[in-house]
Formats: sequence, C-alpha cells, structure tokens
Amino acid sequence: MSEWVHVGQTSDIDEEDLIRFDHEDGRTFAVYNTEKGFFATDGFCTHEAQHLEDGLVIGTVIECPLHQGRFDVTNGRALSAPACVDLKTYPVKLEGDEIYIEI
Amino acid sequence: MPTETAFVATNWQSSGIKIDKKRLKQLCKRYDKPGLIYLAKWALALFVSGAVVWATLGTWLVWPAMIAYGTIMMVPGYCLSHETAHGTPFRSRWLNETVLWVTSFIYMEEPLHRRMHHTSHHTFTWHIDKDSQMPFDTPMDFKGWLIEISGISLLKYHIKELLELTVGHFSQHTREVSQVGDLPKMARGARIFMAIYLGIAIAIFMGQLWLLWFLVLPRFLGIPAMMLYGLIQHVELQENSPSILESTRSFKTNAFGRFLYANMNFHCEHHLFPQVPFYALPELNREIRDQLPEPDPGFFRTQFEVLSVVIRRSLKKNTKAKSIRQAPHMITEGGYQPIATKSM
Ligand code: FES
Repeated sequence: MSEWVHVGQTSDIDEEDLIRFDHEDGRTFAVYNTEKGFFATDGFCTHEAQHLEDGLVIGTVIECPLHQGRFDVTNGRALSAPACVDLKTYPVKLEGDEIYIEI
Repeated sequence: MPTETAFVATNWQSSGIKIDKKRLKQLCKRYDKPGLIYLAKWALALFVSGAVVWATLGTWLVWPAMIAYGTIMMVPGYCLSHETAHGTPFRSRWLNETVLWVTSFIYMEEPLHRRMHHTSHHTFTWHIDKDSQMPFDTPMDFKGWLIEISGISLLKYHIKELLELTVGHFSQHTREVSQVGDLPKMARGARIFMAIYLGIAIAIFMGQLWLLWFLVLPRFLGIPAMMLYGLIQHVELQENSPSILESTRSFKTNAFGRFLYANMNFHCEHHLFPQVPFYALPELNREIRDQLPEPDPGFFRTQFEVLSVVIRRSLKKNTKAKSIRQAPHMITEGGYQPIATKSM
C-alpha cells in the first residue's frame, strides 16, 4: 500500500537541482526541482548502483555522476547510454512549501 | 533496487576527496561555448599545419610536417572522442553526439563501444580483470613500451573489435560492459564505419590521393604522440587501489600542452569527478589541489623518466624514478614479477 511521505521543503532544493531522501525503511530517492516543477525518482541509477544525488540536473534531465547516463525525471525514461533501463518515478505533491512523495 | 553497500566505484568518494556540493554542481555546468571555441582552435590548428603539409609536398620536409599535422589531428581527436563519450563538453546533446561520431571515426572505435568500455575504466580504474581499458601489461618493460607507443597493440585491438562488431560477434568484455539492447546498435555503428573506411580505401585506389596525405598517413603518424599522452595516465602507478590518487597521474604542462590534450593533464581530477567538463578542470584543480598529490613534472620530463625506468627494468637494474610518482612495488632491482595483463 502506498503512502505520502514528507521529504522536505521547496526551499531545500535549488532550481535545476535535486536532493536525496532516505526513507526509514531503507529505500532511497531523488527529489528534483526543475523548470517544469518537482519530481521524484529512485535514488540509484539503473546502470550501476551509483546514487544520483551528486548528479547534474539539466532542464528536466538528470545526468548520473558516475558515467553520465541520462534520464528524463518527468517519466523516468533512460535517454542515453550507458543508462538504458528506465528509472522508477513517484508522484509528488506540494502542500504550501512542503514536498510529499507517494511511495 | 541496487544497494549502496554492494558497490564502490573509483571516484572522489572512494578516494576520500571533499568538495562543497554546490561548488561541484557549478563546476559541472554545461555550456556549448567553451567546447565550440575548442573545436574552432582545433580546426585552425589543422588548417595551418595542413597548409604546411601542402607547401612541403615533394620535399623531405613533408614528413615532419605530417607528424605535426597528424599529432594535431590525433591527440585532440582522441580527447574529444573521450570527452564526448562522457557527454560533458557541450550542453547540446546533438552537438555532443555528432562530435563523438566524427572523432571516434578518426580514433577507429565504434562510438557506443567507446562509451560503454570507458564506463568500466571509471568504475574500476586500473583494477586488474575489471578495468576493460588497461592497454598494457604491468609493470611495463622496454618491449612493452615500444609496442605501446607504436600504437600496434591499440590498432590490432580496434581492428579486431570493429571486425567482430561488424559480423555481430561480441567479445566477453563487450558483453560485460553493455546492456543487451546496446549490442545491435554497436554492430550497426561498426558497419557504418567499415563502409566509410572501405569507401575511403576505394577512393584512394581510384586516385584521390589527398585522402592518403591528409587523412590516412597523418592518422598513423600522429599515433605515437597520442599514445605517449595516454601512457602516462596510469603507468607505474598502483593497480587495484580504491583511491584515484594512487592509480592515476596528473602532470604539469604548458598552455599548448593543455590545448592539445584538452586539459587531460588534470587526469586525477578527471577520474575523481568525471562529470566535470574538460574546460572546468583547471578550476576544479584550484578547488581541490590541497588534497591531491603534487602533479608530476612536465610532459617531456615525465616521458623521459618513464622511458628510463622501463629500460632499467628490462636491464634488471634499479627502477626508482628520479621524480615521478611510482607505486612502491614498481621500484625493484634485479627483475620483477608480472602483475597485470592488458585488457585491450
Ligand atoms: S552508474 Fe549511472 S550511468 Fe553508470
């Protein structure tokens, strides 16, 4: 069963940037502030187990810091090699300045 | 979902380097302009050195002119193929991929193959049997140096891989570093390259000799310089270390060297933070230099010391270099034990 989890405030994430959110159940996520709004994905790249938290956000694309594989954060689609398996995405909602993701 | 504990890539984290995250993101920012300026300078250098080749055709001076032109073709060509395999030198993706295809064509490696094999060089930098871009056996002796610098070993590898990809045969290493969907794309890329190489060969045979003088011969005459640059990235350093500071070498060089090698003299910095584009490496160096070993002396001095070490190793003499960095086990007297076998 899914639940809405509080991950931080809008001011925690710079524009064109992301933060890491570690859930107490051990799962880890990446939450993005892009030109098209806030999005959330799994924290680890699907190519190798590199966390995306130090990756670069370019528009709505996250580039993995290890081999520069790219994903569209709006739908998780893998855009360029070496990444070819899509990232899982999660719904995001804002309540005032508070950010929640549904996991 | 992958777990963090299952995996340690060789980068800044495994090397204990600290950097402010906001500063790192600034350094990673992508622009088209610096990459385009670099391309323009490269084109100008090729034009000027090509004009010298043209002017000296028919005299003995054409050979040194072609070595210079070939060096200018191959060293930046190799660097751009490497940078664009990372996808970092341009903000526009189409520009990045176009330059990747053109420069990888000159370098003679199918672009996706180049990109995928390079991933393991970053995940497992200089790790025996894991890094798929260890180009020579270690420790290196004089024979190994000669084979490496001639480019024969790399050429054999490139031809073998291209032929195999063309017929849809994929080596163990290629399968390991690639995802299933990549393999047909690599085969298609290799077939396109082979068709163009064949077209060039036929054109030369039909009398288009300018292709021979301005593309094929300089491509091979520029290889030794390219190999010399590549050689000092990791030679004499530590295999199987999680720390880039132990496995990788940065060296000092002048403005021309930095242009030719697209700032890859900051090689530790590149391996620590492969997401930082080549044009931001000098700035990255200023940011973290107090955490790095002193870069080795200039290009020629470093080359001279490496050559001196490999000759002495072949003669079973003491292999301690005067000033370049060496892993402790590289310093021996009276012979040596082989450590790593090349992976390409
Ligand atoms: S680990 Fe992310 S692209 Fe390789």
